[in-house]
Amino acid sequence: MKVGFIGLGVMGRPMALHLQRGGHELHVWARNPHSAEGLPATVHASPAELGAACEVVFTVITSSSDVEGVALGENGLVHGMAAGKVLVDCSTIAPDVARRIAEKLGEKGIHMLDAPVSGGAQGAIDATLAIMAGGDAEVLERVRPLLDCLGKRIVHIGPNGAGQVAKACNQMIMVAAIQAAAEALHLAAASGVDCAKVREALAGGSAGSRVLEIMGQRMVDRNFAAGIEARLHHKDYGLVLEAARKSGVPVPLTAAVAQQLNALMALGMGRDDTSSLLRVLEV
Amino acid sequence: MKIAFIGLGIMGRPMALNLLKGGHQVTVWARRAESMQPLLDAGATGAASPAEAVKGNELVISMVADAPDVAEVMRGVAAGAEPGLVAVDMSTIAPAAARRIGEELAAAGVDFLDAPVSGGEVGAIAGSLSIMVGGSAAAFAKAQPAFACMGKNIVHVGGAGAGQVTKAANQIVTGMGVVAVAEAFAFASKNGVDRSKVREALLGGFAYSKILENHGQRMLDRNFQPGFKSWMHEKDLNIVMQTAHELGLCLPGSAATAQLFSAMVGSGMGEEDSIALLKLLEKLSGQE
Repeated sequence: MKVGFIGLGVMGRPMALHLQRGGHELHVWARNPHSAEGLPATVHASPAELGAACEVVFTVITSSSDVEGVALGENGLVHGMAAGKVLVDCSTIAPDVARRIAEKLGEKGIHMLDAPVSGGAQGAIDATLAIMAGGDAEVLERVRPLLDCLGKRIVHIGPNGAGQVAKACNQMIMVAAIQAAAEALHLAAASGVDCAKVREALAGGSAGSRVLEIMGQRMVDRNFAAGIEARLHHKDYGLVLEAARKSGVPVPLTAAVAQQLNALMALGMGRDDTSSLLRVLEV
Repeated sequence: MKIAFIGLGIMGRPMALNLLKGGHQVTVWARRAESMQPLLDAGATGAASPAEAVKGNELVISMVADAPDVAEVMRGVAAGAEPGLVAVDMSTIAPAAARRIGEELAAAGVDFLDAPVSGGEVGAIAGSLSIMVGGSAAAFAKAQPAFACMGKNIVHVGGAGAGQVTKAANQIVTGMGVVAVAEAFAFASKNGVDRSKVREALLGGFAYSKILENHGQRMLDRNFQPGFKSWMHEKDLNIVMQTAHELGLCLPGSAATAQLFSAMVGSGMGEEDSIALLKLLEKLSGQE
């Protein structure tokens, strides 16, 4: 199948390569042409041109407004994709923006899935991402063979926007868990106890989690090189709090963690790993 | 002075009336025509649009709900503006939005002040509002006679956006102040102590504040009529939290406070005064 890919960053590049290795013809567009270098792909001059050449287009971009621009803006996908084609947006954006884009594309008969992913850069490289999809179930079934190239757990959550809601829930739980691990290990260190031993002991019990396993190890090793850059979690927390506010749902813990992320940004650690929340406590 | 006034709600109506009382010639416009009537009865001239309202006036003042409303009104103002016009927005909006609107107006040759107020409906009626102003000194001097009719404590804080930054800081202090007094009262009652006595004792010491005195008394009276609606305080704290997010600013107390106000709005208390927060705390602590 002819598959388009936009957003060739830490996540997007390995995902695009998996699709190509899965036997699909890869087409790309990149705002910065250097990002497409060395890829076994046809490079296009605009999203519209890419959209016209492909059956299915994937996007993995940072912000709601960037996704909106690529999909609906000048020379956007909407101007090239034909009715019946599918946009799979794997970015993490606001649920209401995802719904709005789906609606606009729907007016031209173009299908869209919001399909944000969890699993980080390692999950993208290993093709073990969790994928949470919002949109028509039939459309999901059509593109499922492609998603199978990228991830292990592909769940249809509900209609458009539902995938982004699930991703927001994912970020709430994960980053709060990173903060909990950071506070626990900080307490251990301040009490003169070996953090590595604490982490090892906890991993076998009720407090065991993937965050404690992976992020906890980074904290023990004091290896704060990203993984996923903390600034992206900071961005996601802005989306989560906005969604909670619009729904009138109190999220006191999320709000408190968001302030630690603000401090992290102020300390200039936005390009580092989110396990840097430990260093915010040490300031 | 010849002044156009746009937005005649709970705050805008008495503010415009005070301009008339101060001897200014006032042209008014409001989205809902019926809200213009009390001003027309008092001697104001009505206009059919913001663009028409500013015609022939030296000053235009807006008092509306939120940033998109201000932007829309000011687009109309820019369309009808004559050289030398000064535009003053007294609504509470984000500092970044105020700066953006100021830049757009500057392109149309209009000098802009952000001048949000504190003091509520009571202050608006009494002409005793606190007015915190951002923008050029020349525009401030020009607007000063109008400010003097509406407020008492009028401070030119700094350049564009400085007024809104000050208002946001005001909402941090008042938001957390309401939470602090409500928590102190809930704490006293749950311990079996008379909260009115607690208030009386605290008023003499370092915990004295206007919020403890005025809002505290209304909490004791269980008078939750607005005043200042909790959905508006929630909106203002959202401006604070969004600005903190954009700047990388750690505000844990404001964040917790914003969540409490958000819970009030979510549980249907948005139209009550922000001191109804007391009821939320009582509910969460089994004190109903």
